Amino acid sequence: MSGILRATGLHAGYGAGDILKGVDAELATGRIVTIIGPNGSGKSTLIKTLAGLLPARQGEIELEGERLNDLSAPKRVRAGIAYVPQEYNVFRNLTVLENLKIAREFMGAGRSRERVLDDEVAGLFPELAAHHKTQAGNLSGGQRQMLAFACALTVRPKVLMLDEPSAGLSPKYMSDVFDKVQRVNAIGVSILLVEQNAREALRISHTCIVLAGGRVRAVAPAGEVLGMKDLNSLYLGDATLH
Amino acid sequence: MLQTTFNGIITGVIMTLPALAVTLLFGVLKFPNFAVGAMMTVAAYMAFALNAQLGWPLLPATAAAAVAMGVLCIGIDSVTFKPLRERGGITLMVASLGLGFILENIARFAYGNSARSFAIELARPFRFADIRMNHEQMITLGVSTAAMILMWLLLTRSPMGRAMRAVADNPSLALVRGIESPRVIRWTWFIAGMLLAVGGVLIGMDRALEPPMGSNYLISVFAAAILGGLGSPLGAFVGALVIGVVSELSTLAVPPNYRIGVPLCAIAVILVFRPQGLFGQPYIRR
Repeated sequence: MSGILRATGLHAGYGAGDILKGVDAELATGRIVTIIGPNGSGKSTLIKTLAGLLPARQGEIELEGERLNDLSAPKRVRAGIAYVPQEYNVFRNLTVLENLKIAREFMGAGRSRERVLDDEVAGLFPELAAHHKTQAGNLSGGQRQMLAFACALTVRPKVLMLDEPSAGLSPKYMSDVFDKVQRVNAIGVSILLVEQNAREALRISHTCIVLAGGRVRAVAPAGEVLGMKDLNSLYLGDATLH
Repeated sequence: MLQTTFNGIITGVIMTLPALAVTLLFGVLKFPNFAVGAMMTVAAYMAFALNAQLGWPLLPATAAAAVAMGVLCIGIDSVTFKPLRERGGITLMVASLGLGFILENIARFAYGNSARSFAIELARPFRFADIRMNHEQMITLGVSTAAMILMWLLLTRSPMGRAMRAVADNPSLALVRGIESPRVIRWTWFIAGMLLAVGGVLIGMDRALEPPMGSNYLISVFAAAILGGLGSPLGAFVGALVIGVVSELSTLAVPPNYRIGVPLCAIAVILVFRPQGLFGQPYIRR
């Protein structure tokens, strides 16, 4: 299976020091890849660098073989990479419908159409239709997460990157989120997932990347990692998988 | 009392446009632009040049000055604020103070300190229910109301208006929703420049054209924007009306020279008890 999104020798960080110290990672077309690792390992930094919110200091980022390094975050979005941040992932002062319209208008589909979501995506988020006029800041955490998902999917991205989508959600919404991730993948979107709930994430993933200290420590089939007795050690810092 | 209230509404209505400009600029660029007063002055003198010196009617003169001020604001941003954008709000605020000083003195250099007025015909005021209204006040009411409706439509019904609100809400999320912030910033300056130009002309009609005409309104305009909630267009409108009416009514109890105390007290009280204002969102540091 060919790689749709590829990072090679990636260095990035804040201030003087690098958090990513030469990351090589690949997302295969049509797959779900989960990145796990201890706090501070660079998971969110990696996803932000891929999204264009942080500049890559060294290394290459490619989408379908095209170099992305010099593209701004909005241009990467239009190239086909959608990103859902962990927090503050909806415009709280705008209504649900306005959030969706903005996504459709600016993420690549041009002017807003009569319906902001096509049938397939709308079918994934039936609860949003009832809240179109609600201010996004007044939604529950789970509903906000669904709205953020829907916004990212308004233009059918090639790659969807999710930063801790289940963080802070109730168990009901948590399983709902992972179910949605699987269904989004089923409609042809490749998914890169950063997640603390490693077991839940690995259950729906094809591949697992273990990140520690800003470097990739291991890449393995998700099922294999899930079967490990000392799985916790992978994201608590003692990465021993080879 | 009724007449004073009406005068207060007019004062408030005059402030709605600059207050909206302040709140838009603060929302998108995250700094208080203290050059708005001088920008109003410069734009009013532009309209004066076309109206009184070249003989244009005031309406097209104002429209031309508004477009020119919008373009000038984009230019000012690119040479003054853009290079400082990464240095934070305080640096930008200080730069705006310096810019205001320069702009006001350019107007002073060009037209001197004496008061001037637009070439408009004097008309007899008319009365309605014991309220005396002059034509300039009616024009002010009409123009400001129309501008506020247009702004509301722009901000809620157009993609660029939604983008401006989105950048004001969460700039980093706006980037990953595909919104090019430099384009949004240019549009924000253009619209703010137009609002300030119309506001400047309305002040010139209400009082007179003189170099400090815009900066005289600065405290009231900021009080209006802060009362309404910086970043909230609806708040700017309501805040301006409240500050205008309360300032005028205060003259029933205190000498008019102390009227400026009302917006100053309002700023102090709001910042202590409700810093986000009436319609603003509590500030969240991300």
